Amino acid sequence: MLIKQQNEDLSGQDVIEKYPKEQRFTLAILQDIQRKYKYIPREALENLAKYLDTPVSRLYGMATFYKALSLTPKGENIITVCDGTACHVAGSMVVLDELEKAIGIGPGETTENLKFSINTVNCIGCCAIAPVMMINDKYYGNLTPKLVEEILSEYRSESDE
Amino acid sequence: MKITIDGKACEAEKGEFILQIARRNNIYIPTLCHSDALPGLASCRLCIVKVIDRGRAKIVTSCIFPVSKEVEVVTNDDEIKRMRKNIVMLLKVRCPENKEVDELAKVFGVEEKRVKRFKLDPEENCVLCGLCAKACKELGTGAISTVNRGMYKEVATPYHEPSPECIGCASCANVCPTNAIKVVDKDGERKIWGKKFKMVKCDLCGEYFATEEHVKYAYDRLGVEKPEKLMCSSCKKKVTAKDIKSIFENA
Amino acid sequence: MSDKKTVNICCGTGCLAKGSMEVYEEMKAQIAKLGANAEVNVKLKATGCDGLCEKGPVLKIYPDDIAYFKVKVEDVEDVVKKTLMNGEIIEKLLYFETATKQRLRNHKESEFCKRQYKIALRNVGEIDPISLEDYVERGGYKALKKAIGSMKPEDVLEEISKSGLRGRGGAGFPTGRKWKTAADIDTSPIYVVCNGDEGDPGAFMDRSIMEGDPNSVIEGMTLCAYAVGGTNGFAYIRDEYGLAVENMQKAINKAKEENLLGNNILGTDFSFDIQIVRGGGAFVCGESTALMSSIEGMVGEPRAKYIHTTEKGLWGQPTVLNNVETWANVPIIIEKGGDWYHAIGTMEKSKGTKVFSLVGKVKNTGLVEVPMGTTLREIIYDIGGGVLNDRKFKAVQIGGPSGGCLPAEYLDLPVDYDTLVKADSMMGSGGMIVMDDRTCMVDVTRYYLSFLAEESCGKCVPCREGVKRMLEILTDICDGNGKEGDIEELLEICSMTSKASLCSLGKSAPNPVKAAIRYFRDEFEEHINNKRCRAGVCKELTTFGIDEDKCIGCDMCKKNCPADCITGEIKKPHAIDADKCVRCGNCMNICKFNAVKVL
Repeated sequence: MLIKQQNEDLSGQDVIEKYPKEQRFTLAILQDIQRKYKYIPREALENLAKYLDTPVSRLYGMATFYKALSLTPKGENIITVCDGTACHVAGSMVVLDELEKAIGIGPGETTENLKFSINTVNCIGCCAIAPVMMINDKYYGNLTPKLVEEILSEYRSESDE
Repeated sequence: MKITIDGKACEAEKGEFILQIARRNNIYIPTLCHSDALPGLASCRLCIVKVIDRGRAKIVTSCIFPVSKEVEVVTNDDEIKRMRKNIVMLLKVRCPENKEVDELAKVFGVEEKRVKRFKLDPEENCVLCGLCAKACKELGTGAISTVNRGMYKEVATPYHEPSPECIGCASCANVCPTNAIKVVDKDGERKIWGKKFKMVKCDLCGEYFATEEHVKYAYDRLGVEKPEKLMCSSCKKKVTAKDIKSIFENA
Repeated sequence: MSDKKTVNICCGTGCLAKGSMEVYEEMKAQIAKLGANAEVNVKLKATGCDGLCEKGPVLKIYPDDIAYFKVKVEDVEDVVKKTLMNGEIIEKLLYFETATKQRLRNHKESEFCKRQYKIALRNVGEIDPISLEDYVERGGYKALKKAIGSMKPEDVLEEISKSGLRGRGGAGFPTGRKWKTAADIDTSPIYVVCNGDEGDPGAFMDRSIMEGDPNSVIEGMTLCAYAVGGTNGFAYIRDEYGLAVENMQKAINKAKEENLLGNNILGTDFSFDIQIVRGGGAFVCGESTALMSSIEGMVGEPRAKYIHTTEKGLWGQPTVLNNVETWANVPIIIEKGGDWYHAIGTMEKSKGTKVFSLVGKVKNTGLVEVPMGTTLREIIYDIGGGVLNDRKFKAVQIGGPSGGCLPAEYLDLPVDYDTLVKADSMMGSGGMIVMDDRTCMVDVTRYYLSFLAEESCGKCVPCREGVKRMLEILTDICDGNGKEGDIEELLEICSMTSKASLCSLGKSAPNPVKAAIRYFRDEFEEHINNKRCRAGVCKELTTFGIDEDKCIGCDMCKKNCPADCITGEIKKPHAIDADKCVRCGNCMNICKFNAVKVL
């Protein structure tokens, strides 16, 4: 359960300090910041720019180029729908339609209440049970519209606690 | 060493780029993202030529292809003409109302019918050559960069907000081949990338010529004290010319 | 004296997704219950991918050579009590050979296994990936010890050249030639890089090797460093491959402890270390110059390769970059000799084996490794078991978004770099996707282009604008807004993008378009002129109907219709209300009588 603290330190200083002040660690540091906060806070980005003595625009360019990085907070439950060729051919679009119907968002979006985020990925490597989606670290395969609804209701009741 | 461009023998140094050699020999190759001051972008692909080496032909961008062997270069055969036309067609589809792109489209004979087939954005003027971001990085403070990737790529300031780093030097606007960056200078004030700047006057001619921040940045970077009297570049040229004249006359 | 047995359970990502970790944990618990004085001493291993992903979770018992498939947690107790303790076989868990309709005790005799020749995958599925002992027991690090002990760097180069090994990442560049270019440059540092950014959707060969046999990659890279004077190594691994990163790092750490990596390898003055760099979620970073930009801490934008990266790569230094599968082949080539490898396969210019991820509408989905020259028909039908649900074969896509589809007429084509390129396809990294009559070739082409449009770095006009507009045309066609002249416009843009793009992502982006139009032009024309999608995929161009002559009224379609748009009584022909129909295609998929049609 993601509990946001009022005065949470969003500078990422402890993460940044672990690395030498060299350009080549930029992506690794950004990924560590992403892992810590589930996104890259503006404060952390600007702090890193000072640390590496590099323009903020360069880091902003990197944060928007790499899809592993996000500048906006992600939801509590991250739904990753595989849209690899095998899953696509098996009906990943139907799965996405069903998710949109159920929680009202599409790929790349997060629900208003920050409970769910959806993103698509190209091939998780579970082609044998296509179409596949992951919710956080759990895999769900052989999806049908009915199954999607059932799976979601598990998460919905959990987060309403 | 020698290379042949369109049948003409041209002297070349090993490692020189085909574009330099061609220009030196008055052979015209069209470019869009090339700038002698900021070379090496190779993003527009307009300067493509054919390099024939040991019977095999390959398409390369002449702006950054270094010659290392005595090869044959073809700059303008039917295949290259067709490819350039398609490149320009795509640029016209991207920027249907831009004047500079329209001129290119006319030169390369792009058919209106092909362009009209697509969904057009009349507001777009940027061809994403990358010159502005490079200029800002090298001449300015790195206030803008390319953001996102693929078809969502654009040039912007971080978070699409006025950048604290921007000094209003307008190097970006000056290098832009399609005049896509809006600079509004009015009543001693400059507006660019959503930020307002106060401009300084030339002490000689009285014209506003640069932003306060730019002047400060330039002298800081030079490591020199800002002088009492500031001059715009045309006055500087006039004063320097006068000084040189007097040196010659008094010699 | 207790009987010693080993139980291997596949814990590669594919089987994990099917619950193999729960099976593993249950097995662990059951073995613990047996106690120390049991008649049978069982060693449990979590291995990498066995290859037959469709039938996972996979459980193998040695030395009995028994293989169980689709093992559930509930089955584990029986496996222990019946098979491990009493040698009794549980029939229902054995591999079922569809060709002979028989159950096989040892699935290695199955059509799926016996036609394969595992070289790159030699240890995957057989060892605990992070156990150095397991790797060494199967011959691991013999090659490195042989090279450092009794071979000169030139000798190692010679063996690789003799082998005929070509880059397994897709381009197929001769590996020996690449290494020699770097070896000839006298400078330091020289970098050795592993391209683990497997981005092709539908391909998971590299993932399985990194997860299941990381030492084969590490040893391969170290052998290269020895041969070319490499000083530092990088393994660039796709961000989405968490388990691969974990296993590679653990293997690196263990190898260093045993002096097989790091400073003064095996007590000599040869030092080489490998650092893992995680990708940032960009397919374009699989392109060598973009990968290097990414390692350097920048956006993954490719650069011109007018000077090869082997001469000027990372930070301007000579850099040998190879794909995971290429690295995995290196140790065994050095161990058994280049001539041995050269003799494998039946093709003139493609030697050795290739790993394919056989996925899509095929029965035996999974990982297969075959000698070069094996035909597509053999891979899809003999090894793969044929098209899923015995539907009609339509096409096979090879080479992912950079390759092209091949229709049935090409099933007898041998797998070989140059042969595939001649047919407008390409080997690529090895993703092989089988498509049936329910796949719309226009939709698939649109899908590949939308993938490329998302993944393009956006730097150059031919790719960024070309792919965007080709996608626009294809989307229009699939939505029923195709216009006259669209096919010609697509081919016109293709002709320029394939030559003028900055990198190979752009240059190969037109491949799926050209191949699809070459072999399935009539399907495109039908979409544009008749506004009909014969595969029943493009919703605007599909109307489903039930053939009354074929329908027996089994009611299956009606029961499974999410839109409740089918009416009919049992044993009487059913009907679809086209207005309520959402075009999900479920009815067509379920009907065993071919009664649902696209009107």
